[in-house]
Amino acid sequence: MLDQFFSPRSIAIVGASSNPEKIGYAILKNLTSSGYSGSIYPVNPGSSEIMGLKTYTSMAQIPGPVDLTVIALPASKTPDEVRECVRLKVPYVIIIPGGFSETGEEGRILESRISRAIAGSGTRIIGPNTVGVYFPHTRVNTALTPPDRISFPPPGNIAFISQSGALGLLTMDSISEYGIGVSAFVNLGNKLDVNELEMINHFSADPNTGSIALYLESIESGRQFFDLIREVNRRKPIVVLKSGRSEASARAASLHTGAMASDDRVLNGALCQAGVARAFDETELLDYARVLAYAMPFSGNRIAVVTTAGGVGVISADLISSKINGIGLQMASLSAGTKQKIRESIVAFGTAENPIDLTADGSLESYDRVLSALETEPEVDAILAYALPQTPKMSMEIVDVVGKHINSGKPIVVGVIGSKLGKELLIEFERKKIAAFPSIHRSVKALKALHDYGKFMKERG
Amino acid sequence: MKAGKSLGEILHGEVTEFDLKMALREYGFRVPRGLLIDAVPASIPINFPVVLKVSDPRILHKSELGGVSIGIGSHEALDAELSRMRKAFPGSHFLIEEMVTGGVEMIVGVSRNRDFGLSIMVGLGGIFTELYGDAAFRLLPIERQDAIDMIEGTTLGKFVEGFRGKFIDRESLVKFLLKVSGFAEECRDIIDQMDMNPVMASGKEITILDAKLIKINGTT
Repeated sequence: MLDQFFSPRSIAIVGASSNPEKIGYAILKNLTSSGYSGSIYPVNPGSSEIMGLKTYTSMAQIPGPVDLTVIALPASKTPDEVRECVRLKVPYVIIIPGGFSETGEEGRILESRISRAIAGSGTRIIGPNTVGVYFPHTRVNTALTPPDRISFPPPGNIAFISQSGALGLLTMDSISEYGIGVSAFVNLGNKLDVNELEMINHFSADPNTGSIALYLESIESGRQFFDLIREVNRRKPIVVLKSGRSEASARAASLHTGAMASDDRVLNGALCQAGVARAFDETELLDYARVLAYAMPFSGNRIAVVTTAGGVGVISADLISSKINGIGLQMASLSAGTKQKIRESIVAFGTAENPIDLTADGSLESYDRVLSALETEPEVDAILAYALPQTPKMSMEIVDVVGKHINSGKPIVVGVIGSKLGKELLIEFERKKIAAFPSIHRSVKALKALHDYGKFMKERG
Repeated sequence: MKAGKSLGEILHGEVTEFDLKMALREYGFRVPRGLLIDAVPASIPINFPVVLKVSDPRILHKSELGGVSIGIGSHEALDAELSRMRKAFPGSHFLIEEMVTGGVEMIVGVSRNRDFGLSIMVGLGGIFTELYGDAAFRLLPIERQDAIDMIEGTTLGKFVEGFRGKFIDRESLVKFLLKVSGFAEECRDIIDQMDMNPVMASGKEITILDAKLIKINGTT
């Protein structure tokens, strides 16, 4: 239903500007430099040309149909412009400015004027109070940040819906560093019209989207939200980051159950019930979304760890098997046959017990043989493989070695530690859509998210 | 007294602990044998020791006010205890119940969230329940796997495996939680909050020792 919104054939920017200090400049600049191939119509009554594009004095002057209008005007001027969009049958309008219900009564009145303007029409509103949207597959970028300040991720598999615009942009900037891609980014702002429910519905059927990452500050239709994420999550994994955890329940409670039923405890229960992963910061949100989009979920508890650094292996073993400060799974006990195969593959002073340590003398060939041995080991449910390219016999080709085994039947999560080579490796893994994480802790927690999803699907699938 | 009536009828109007327990018994829950009294009868159809409680919908937290007396061993002791309570709670009715001891004290409850509707909670009971927060929530209705996950998500998970002589039969607890879910669903237009606290669990026997209800309209 929102297809036209994500693939607009033409975009009008009302309030487009040639002044680099205006957001109407940044939006137009981002759109023109993103490689968008549809028609771009800047609208500004005082200009005839901006950035080499013919500029229109009003929406009505635009010669062709407009699929998407971006409004970058002050809040007070927005309702009239929305009315004009409704008259011109523009299907989607993004309202960038703040100054609406988030600021008080005056803003609420402006919002209700917009609501009245679109009532009964085919025009849908995204925002107001949004930093914009970013759809790399169709090269739509309406972000309000100056293009030189922030990096945007390449096309990928994660649909990222954020109620906070700034957090969304900053998170995209962070993941761009590792080439982590998104299928779309939407900042819903005040959710005057289009809300997260419609977005989730859309992404559940979007072939580019492998998982959905949701950052929310409020949930309005809780029961509908629950029913939807429970249904969608079975087909397409969802990760939720919800802020405002310490807020008390809004209702005075006189019984023990009521006193304990804080909004957060109830939400937590609902997410467990829906099998939806819960993140507690932006890093977890994208880590879990990525592992769920790329790797094969598993339901068993038994993990094998492969490393060329002993300390990395034993810390991982602690984090995997501890319930406190750990994820409460188990280190797999390898069968005699597998241990024999591993012993034959690694140096004599290496460790054929789990965690399997190839030592600093470990080579790509022995790593390959160890993964082959683990693939056929029925005592292993998933593999945590550390790609540490810093030793002499290792190299960036570790990406291909792991890649060779990624579809072998056992889920693999990759851990990487390091700076320059580490970052290059992470980018390479990302290019191959192999879930790799830049620390022991993050790798282990991603493994747990993958396990929890697999367990839920096995029990309820 | 509202004997022989449907669930909706029993919970109509002012609901005392006795009424709520009757509704729960009708639904198939195990509650202690009890008798509403104003004076001690010549003989009571319940074996000693017994529990004496004030039964008054105006009093929500009766044990905090001295309105619960446990382990009463004889007719004479019951007489004395009742006189004391009648002075402390003039105009109230009183409930005698058989005393259930031993087992693990749980709290099971239902509450309404403005966004998510009714949810069920289970946790380890006792006076420190709120302090420890050792409880799991799920939205109603729950499925069998939700009940299992709730048990595993709290310390109750230790007791279904057995801990220092205390044991709760897992299947019985799962069925109990599903039954609470069913009960609450059936009363979904009535319940704002419901506490079953304590619920005593020992092996396969799960008994609701006390139950309180606050209705949507704010009354008990």
